[in-house]
Amino acid sequence: MSTQFSDRNSVIALLRHSPLFSSLANTVLLDMLSHFRRETWKHGRCITGSENEQRFHVILSGRLKMGRINPETGRIVTLFLLGPGDAFDVISLLDGEPSPVTLEAKDDLELLSTPVEEARRWIEYHPEFNHSFLPYLGRQMHLLADLAGDLALHDTETRLARLILRHIDTDNSHHSLHLIHDLSHEALGEMIGSVRVVVNRQLQHWQREGIIISHRGKLVVQELEALLKKAMHHSHNSAAKPSPEKPKNRH
Amino acid sequence: MADKNSCAALYHTHEQAEEAVRALQKTAFDVKKISIIGKGYHHEEHPIGFYDTGDRVKFWGVQGVFWDGVRGLLLGAATFWVPGLGPVVMAGPLVTSLVDALKGTVAVAGLSALGAALHSISIPKDSIIHYETALKSNHYLIIVHGDQKEAERAHGVLAASEPIDVVIHLS
Repeated sequence: MSTQFSDRNSVIALLRHSPLFSSLANTVLLDMLSHFRRETWKHGRCITGSENEQRFHVILSGRLKMGRINPETGRIVTLFLLGPGDAFDVISLLDGEPSPVTLEAKDDLELLSTPVEEARRWIEYHPEFNHSFLPYLGRQMHLLADLAGDLALHDTETRLARLILRHIDTDNSHHSLHLIHDLSHEALGEMIGSVRVVVNRQLQHWQREGIIISHRGKLVVQELEALLKKAMHHSHNSAAKPSPEKPKNRH
Repeated sequence: MADKNSCAALYHTHEQAEEAVRALQKTAFDVKKISIIGKGYHHEEHPIGFYDTGDRVKFWGVQGVFWDGVRGLLLGAATFWVPGLGPVVMAGPLVTSLVDALKGTVAVAGLSALGAALHSISIPKDSIIHYETALKSNHYLIIVHGDQKEAERAHGVLAASEPIDVVIHLS
């Protein structure tokens, strides 16, 4: 079925910013669009593993939280915070098994989607996609390994510092953050296996030290070196120094 | 309106929009869950609805036949003057949302009354701007309300009816 896109060029322009699709030829992207449909998800839409149908999604705009929840305690850990250009669920795309994750739209989301089987057929037909897909998958696995390492090896202060460093916008001399800049303290807590009050206390402490500033609910790093020291403070025997990551895309 | 998921499709002409509604009807869609919106007049013609003694709306002009036909198919019909958009003719359950928006019970900052009505059924702001621009350009918008499965089934039908675009909106 051919899906209609009135603004095909703008969709392709958005995909050009994605690490998954930026290197693909226009003809390949057009073929892809013919197999995908357009969706929007309202901010706050939340779906659990059982409701999560077997579709492969590409985010065009907005942010999506992918996490796991303990139904008995209600505690949540965020595995990925995905943004424009990201795709989900890549693990289900590989093994065909439904993923037990909870998805939550952190903004109004605009997406492309296709059944997982269709996505697999499309990849078989366009093996050049793998040149982008495998590094993307590797990066996702690195992020999961970082999360597991942080949770097992570091205290909350170090985990929060490392989280912030991973989201520093390197294209911006003001050290503003991408994706997490306006998240609530509760959401930040879910990304580091902590809770709102602890994150709140830590951020206030760093504000007093002049390491970060919070202006109208948006976090900005003021003293990068000091934050790096916080991130390395308890890292002597563990993972590599967390370097600010170049944002995948910006619109 | 309970259903906040939808599938929305834009069409260039009222003939295409009418064809799409009939395609939905043929595939056993509940016509009470279909809305259609278009501008009320196009330059030289001035068809505007009126209420006769039987509380019936009647349309005239070149598109009168179309809107009268739509009124026969869908649930209710109304003509509104929407600030920023002008006369808008609409049929289906979205009429109730627009009435709420015009009464001010549904207000969303930065959106017109029609935008607020669309926002109330979980259509995001970017899409609302897109639809309002298309309506100003005399295109037609069909919205199928329902649960996620119904929206997805509507997508299958509408995507095959040569729309300008078709999008599933999930709440």
